[in-house]
Amino acid sequence: MEVTFSQLDDTVARFVLSEATHAFANTLRRAMISEVPTLAIENVRIYGNTSALFDEMLAHRLGLIPLKTDLSVHAPVDSCACGGEGCPGCTVIYTLSVEGPRTVYSGDLIPQDPEAVPVHDNIPVVKLVEGQKLVLEAQAVINKGKEHVKWQPTVACGYKNYPVITTSEECDGCGMCVEECPRGILAVDSGAVSVLDGRLADCSMCRLCEQACLSGGIGEEPGIRIAADETRFIFVVESDGSLPPSEIIKHALLYVKDKSHDLVGVLTEISGGIADEEGS
Amino acid sequence: MIPVRCFTCGKVVSVAWEEFRQRRDAGEDPGKILDDLGLERYCCRRMLLTHKEIIEDIIPYQ
Repeated sequence: MEVTFSQLDDTVARFVLSEATHAFANTLRRAMISEVPTLAIENVRIYGNTSALFDEMLAHRLGLIPLKTDLSVHAPVDSCACGGEGCPGCTVIYTLSVEGPRTVYSGDLIPQDPEAVPVHDNIPVVKLVEGQKLVLEAQAVINKGKEHVKWQPTVACGYKNYPVITTSEECDGCGMCVEECPRGILAVDSGAVSVLDGRLADCSMCRLCEQACLSGGIGEEPGIRIAADETRFIFVVESDGSLPPSEIIKHALLYVKDKSHDLVGVLTEISGGIADEEGS
Repeated sequence: MIPVRCFTCGKVVSVAWEEFRQRRDAGEDPGKILDDLGLERYCCRRMLLTHKEIIEDIIPYQ
């Protein structure tokens, strides 16, 4: 199995996973979405709210604000040494106190832990006019995306097969497929159609080029063929900013590894050691 | 108030709202503004395009 990154920055990672199965690619995708823990506001104690929004609506908006997470500092509540009561090791307390007239922004949340600040400080929470006031205390905890989307570290996270475009001898370079391609990745080159350099991965496998070729009256078989490489996957992982994409991928892979070890352990146990002997 | 995140993909779109509104009211083409703001998926783009701010109308009825 091989991974080649074409882009890796603070928010987006694009990579090609080769020599893998569909099952593994999907496991990785699901692990990244729902098994990597992050920080999000879970409990809100409202001391004063004379704004136009209801308390629960404010709490919901606060919950969706992504918070910078350091997994080496904070642990999930259920595996924390405090036993779920809440301590600086698993929860971060935020205070907010704003009087109108002005808009309350995510940057007005003052964290107890200066590292766990909101990713963006300009997310509007509610607009206040003269005489309106908002005073609250919020408690953020670490949890996983399978519990609620607010704990998902990923925004758009998915994969597609690597496209394989082949042209046969039937192709007469008429260029009808070039015009039809919505991504513009084809070109006529010395009497035959070819893919522009470095644009193959952009193919969405819509097969409009195949249809265009057939409508040109070429016969039963199109001169251009779109197929999928079943062992290579193009991944896009976009982070909401709470964790960098590299961290998300690393934690997801560690999770998959742990789960596989658990599975081997359970299989060994129920088969009375047979699986272990056969495996070795 | 503008939703904090895109309903479909979860991208934080609310940070782009104030700039989008100002530039749209100044007469710029909404599509171009969205491109500038880095909202490339159509799920995120419709969040801003179809939003109507009604907080001003409900403020008197707190």
